[in-house]
Amino acid sequence: MIMFKASYFDGKRSCGLPVYINLQGATIYIQSEDGLPLLSVPLRECEISPPLGKTSRTIRFPNGAQCETVDLAAVETLWKNHGGKSLMNFVNCLESRWKMVGICLIGLVIFVLILSKYAIPLASKKIAFSLPHHLTDELSRSTLEILDYKYLKTSVLDDKVKNELKDIFFVLHEEIDPGSYYRLEFRKSPLIGPNAFALPSGLILITDELVEISQDNKELIGIMAHEVAHVKYRHGLRSVFQNSGIFLLISSLFGDVTSITSIGATLPTLLARSGYSREFEREADQTAGLYLIQKGWSTKPYQHILMRITKNVHSYPEESVFSSHPIAQERVFDLQKLEDNKIIKDTLIKN
Amino acid sequence: MDNLICKNCGLSTSKVDLKGISHICPGCGSSLETEVYKKENGTDDIQMQSEESRLYYPRFTGSANEYFKIWIVNTFLTIITLGIYAAWAKVRNRQYIYKNTLLDDQPFEYTANPVAILKGNLIVASGAIIYFLTYFYKPMYSAIVVGLFYLILPFLIFKSLKFIAHNSAYRNIRFRFLGNMKESYRIYIFYPILILFTLGLIIPYWAFKKKEYFFNNFAFGATANSFNGKAKRFYKIYLSAFVIFIISILILGFIFFTVLIKSGLTSADVSNKSFIMKNVIIAYALMIVVVTYFQQFIYARITNYCWEHSNLGSLRFRSTLKAGTLFFIRITNILAIILSIGLLIPWAKIRKTRYILNNITIMSEKELDDFKAFIESDVSAYGVSATEAFDFDIGL
Ligand SMILES: [Zn+2]
Repeated sequence: MIMFKASYFDGKRSCGLPVYINLQGATIYIQSEDGLPLLSVPLRECEISPPLGKTSRTIRFPNGAQCETVDLAAVETLWKNHGGKSLMNFVNCLESRWKMVGICLIGLVIFVLILSKYAIPLASKKIAFSLPHHLTDELSRSTLEILDYKYLKTSVLDDKVKNELKDIFFVLHEEIDPGSYYRLEFRKSPLIGPNAFALPSGLILITDELVEISQDNKELIGIMAHEVAHVKYRHGLRSVFQNSGIFLLISSLFGDVTSITSIGATLPTLLARSGYSREFEREADQTAGLYLIQKGWSTKPYQHILMRITKNVHSYPEESVFSSHPIAQERVFDLQKLEDNKIIKDTLIKN
Repeated sequence: MDNLICKNCGLSTSKVDLKGISHICPGCGSSLETEVYKKENGTDDIQMQSEESRLYYPRFTGSANEYFKIWIVNTFLTIITLGIYAAWAKVRNRQYIYKNTLLDDQPFEYTANPVAILKGNLIVASGAIIYFLTYFYKPMYSAIVVGLFYLILPFLIFKSLKFIAHNSAYRNIRFRFLGNMKESYRIYIFYPILILFTLGLIIPYWAFKKKEYFFNNFAFGATANSFNGKAKRFYKIYLSAFVIFIISILILGFIFFTVLIKSGLTSADVSNKSFIMKNVIIAYALMIVVVTYFQQFIYARITNYCWEHSNLGSLRFRSTLKAGTLFFIRITNILAIILSIGLLIPWAKIRKTRYILNNITIMSEKELDDFKAFIESDVSAYGVSATEAFDFDIGL
């Protein structure tokens, strides 16, 4: 038998009545302070609020009345007899031990790291590569519409120059990514300046301004190879998926802080800002560098044009070569390192 | 002012229907009658509290330590269940805050069913997926989806207010939200559109309408709260906030530029990128400080004003929030959260809640045990929770 003090609220008026709760067998007896019986309810028909910190517990009765008590030890026994909800019991077990909280914290950190470093990028990669072509084409078409409307004008380049570059481009994409569909187009863009874009459908755009500042076709080959690599490894789609995944992760972590209105406001801007990550840029640069080295042209022309673009570039709209790019110096340094390593390797093999 | 009482559901209110034709009970729709008991000729002056009225101070007993443990465990469970547990976590976190808020030694309670919240979350998640897919395949149409979102936002806010009120209880009496959906649409769609046309001059009025929507429509059991605040006061608050804002911008701007020019003279290369970056960051931080003060000033003044112009039956409120203290709490909370990579979120929340609750005083002429519950006629409690399953934190 357990007996403890509680406040009784009938659910009709806000007045509380000090009562004693008495558990005998499987039945709860409620009696007033002077011992008058008020109510008796089978324990299994009561609803007991789950334990939560050191807060008071509530016992709800089928008739809508309830008892509130701070005698946590007594309610705990009641709760055990009642066979309370096991899920919240388990949660409370975790919450009430620092050791468990520590384990949860470590688990949380590990899980967040795994999700953001491996699971989300991997899932994004899987989805990006499994998307059917007509969908990526559709996406690219509408993105191109937006780009054309916002930043781009028709190219004023000489047809001879264009055709020459298109011929070079054909050989290049067949060598880097054989059998896939690619197309090269030109646009004038005083707004963006010298730059290039890759759309998931395999459409590569080069601005007139980029062609104008180039001093050698090998420089443009470097840029084209870089963009083809973006398409080959589906960097564009992967970035969008990855950024959305990270956004979801963050908003579920700080769910308490963000409100629905702020999510509504940040989601569109977040999706719009999905440039390539540094990792993707490095991968594209490496492909371009290796292609140039393999052709025996060295990465120097590509390095030169990268440096020249940084000096001339105006703004960075989405999908641009230069949004979120590692600074040019760093990229040039990486390319040089790649070339040096290659030379060392080659000489080692020859000897 | 006469108190009106509904014979059908027992609701009592001191609200006066301006149309004067008939007084319709906001709870059940039948007509209201003048209550026999009459209040002394009341004005909206807070000094009118009678000598014998009792004062109640809410006590907040939550501890940052305990809440930290609860928050970590529940966040962990949310993440490993990929968000499904979020509904349970929400109930637990909110319940912790409620249960630790004691008024006259009795706690508040949050009684929401997590499954109902899970349903609401799933509906919102599917909306987000639709948005994502449109953005992805038809970016041209994603603006339409955003438009649709804003179109259903008033509905979500309305449902959310109803759900949260319905699931908040004190002494086993539920709160209720009596506002209607039409008003929600007027407040969250019509006025925001007007902001553009009025060059923002309507913003204080909009803030007033939002507060009025909440304060004039919540009820504790059968007792509806009535709010007699005026929009004029909101204009005064916004105006003084604006003046403070401009003055602090001018002063800080002046200090910033004199410092900049001085250091610029000694620095060898002013066009140096890192030098510019450093100054941009400092300017940005100063801007955050000024904007935060602006927000907290408005929040403190408006919250105080709204509570002081509310009465819940015979209950009156006093709120004594200070803009400076709120600002200090806010700034240090932001810093603590950033420096602890989010680990101090629970501490920050407890600290802020404690300050706000410690500054509320409730004045009552009678004991707190005289409130009646609202007897729900035909709608069952389960029906209510099944359809109104949204619980969002709305910045009211
Ligand atoms: Zn790139």
